[in-house]
Amino acid sequence: MNVKNVIFLCALLPLLSMLLPLPGGAAAETISNQNDACLACHAKQDIVISFQNNESLSGHVDVEKLKASAHGELACSACHIEFASAQHPKRIFRSREQFTVRASLVCRRCHSDEQLKARPVHVELLERQKAGAPAVCADCHGAHSVIRVTRRKSLNDDAKSCLSCHRRPIRIAFQKGEAQSYIVDATVLEGSVHNKLSCADCHYGFSRDEHPKRQFRSPRDMTIASAESCRRCHFDKYSKFQDSIHYTKLSQGFLKAPVCTDCHGHHSISSISKERIVSANRCRKCHPDIYDTYAKSVHGNALVNEFNQDVPVCVDCHTTHDIQNPHSLEFRERVPQMCSSCHANKGIMGKYGLSTDVMKTYLSDFHGVTLGFYIKQKNLLPAQAKGIAVCTDCHGTHNITSTVSPDATTVKANLVQRCRKCHANATENFPDAWISHYKPSLKRAPLLFVITILYKFLTPLIILGLVLQILLHIWRYAVSR
Amino acid sequence: MAKPLDEHDRIKFRRFGPYRIIEHWLHAVIFCLLVVTGLAQKYHAYDFSQWIVYRLGGIDSARLTHRIAGFLLIILVVEHIAIAVFGIAKRRWQASMLIQIKDYRDVITNLKYYFGVKNHPAACDRFDYKQKFDYWGVLVSNTVMIVTGIVLMFPIVTTKFLYGEIVPAANVIHTNQSLLIILVIAIWHIYNSIFSPEIFPLDTSILSGYISRERMQHEHPLELERREREERKALRAARQKHD
Repeated sequence: MNVKNVIFLCALLPLLSMLLPLPGGAAAETISNQNDACLACHAKQDIVISFQNNESLSGHVDVEKLKASAHGELACSACHIEFASAQHPKRIFRSREQFTVRASLVCRRCHSDEQLKARPVHVELLERQKAGAPAVCADCHGAHSVIRVTRRKSLNDDAKSCLSCHRRPIRIAFQKGEAQSYIVDATVLEGSVHNKLSCADCHYGFSRDEHPKRQFRSPRDMTIASAESCRRCHFDKYSKFQDSIHYTKLSQGFLKAPVCTDCHGHHSISSISKERIVSANRCRKCHPDIYDTYAKSVHGNALVNEFNQDVPVCVDCHTTHDIQNPHSLEFRERVPQMCSSCHANKGIMGKYGLSTDVMKTYLSDFHGVTLGFYIKQKNLLPAQAKGIAVCTDCHGTHNITSTVSPDATTVKANLVQRCRKCHANATENFPDAWISHYKPSLKRAPLLFVITILYKFLTPLIILGLVLQILLHIWRYAVSR
Repeated sequence: MAKPLDEHDRIKFRRFGPYRIIEHWLHAVIFCLLVVTGLAQKYHAYDFSQWIVYRLGGIDSARLTHRIAGFLLIILVVEHIAIAVFGIAKRRWQASMLIQIKDYRDVITNLKYYFGVKNHPAACDRFDYKQKFDYWGVLVSNTVMIVTGIVLMFPIVTTKFLYGEIVPAANVIHTNQSLLIILVIAIWHIYNSIFSPEIFPLDTSILSGYISRERMQHEHPLELERREREERKALRAARQKHD
């Protein structure tokens, strides 16, 4: 083996190692698990850290900001070095200042003095620190929301050309007399999923040479017109959107109805977030009352306060682009399916000790059977199309509460009220006619259980006896002849 | 059966009057209507059930049909019981359907006959134990189905007076009892009146009202004996009167 070969191999080794699968997947999994464990408490709004001098600091972590931050990929314990999933030491600080100074020391474990000095603004701070006045990084950079400052991707020349004007606020006047300033933030654009596109890919008709003058009546008109660009690439989503109630409302002249950019953003457009609360917050912008009701429900409360990722958010029931009118018959008919997509799933329900029989028991009961008939007949007998009680009629929609909460008596009292919506003269006894989604057992509905068992044995026994006698009769007849 | 029937065997006996024949066939029609509309609801997941319900004009009309048929059954059962009680009280009918200890003995005798222990089957009167089982099975089932059916039709009225659990209990009884009686009719009644080798191809007595002497001798020997005794007695009395 000569020297050339050795050099070649040495050069090849790092290349080979790049091809090998990295244990990144497994590591990410554990980081996410650990963070989920921390966030189960720290996503709550009301978590507070108190100090000896009666000062306090919110321990709430904004999940959205954390995930969007430069440190979004890190495990909590990467900065909070004393902590881990199963390790939560109790620490005592004199004051808030002592706490924040101490917390800032962690930053320096990764960010060396040399790195800091590269930015002139830090030089003075480092000198002051030497004189005994400690600097708190989070004062400028934020704590969990620490912002990325390095530019990883650079925009193409086309974009740079547009930005030479549009990075400054540009005032646009509208026909109705309004005027509004627009600014395109280069950092936001760089962070978006469209950072490889040219401006003209969305703003078609515009280029370095051409800048047509357009007239819009209002800022909203401009937004709606701009959103038309999206369909040039995302036509599947656009055609779904055309089936939605939002599009229907828009085409009826209700201009507040959302278009693509209202939910997805425009220059800041990011890839679909896995954080469910982000999605819920998008809907909240226009439906704040419903969000508030939802946030108090058993589902919303778990999402907002416990960082629970199993619970449904708006889009799980209402879907995303082709959102239907929830008051329609078709929507009502789909409700049992929506609920059962989680509530018939043993993997999810097992965690919370909930029964997965809810769907089966509903479908075998009067309401479920009737619903099944109504759905199947709808096309054949359109005149008979009508609704019947589904999950939400008894459990509520956005305000669903737990049926096993200490409020169980209220649940039952409410049930009579809900029965009366359809069965006007229902008495207090009437809800007991419904055996609450449970299969009959000796504990629950013993009468039903005993009757069922009795028939289960009696029916085959009687029929077997009769069949045996018939066979004996035939046999004897044949033998006698 | 190749040997020619002699004159004696050709004599026919009246077994059912027109009233009983009409009652039987009315009941059969109502029963079938209830079975079709009921089973389509019980086994709603099957395409065939869906087809039946659709043919009946949707589930709401299918339920209405079931309830109207149920109402007709109520009339028939109430009428039947009233006539039976009234008739027996006035001694116009004989209580020949009542189950007696002899019927249990007949079961054992017949079982012995089937297994070859005895050479002859049990000698039965006007109704043998098979027919009695059939009759009481249907009558009791009808009563059970009517009571539970009314509870299911009026759950709100029911729960005004009774516990809520009565309603699902009625449902369980209604659905299970229906299956039981359908199987009893389909297996036991149909075998005994159509497929039994002694009867096949059909027990025509429920159409014509008459039964042959040969069958009487074979199936209801005690009744035959009694009726012929009574006939002779009547004949003798008539002759004495004539003289």
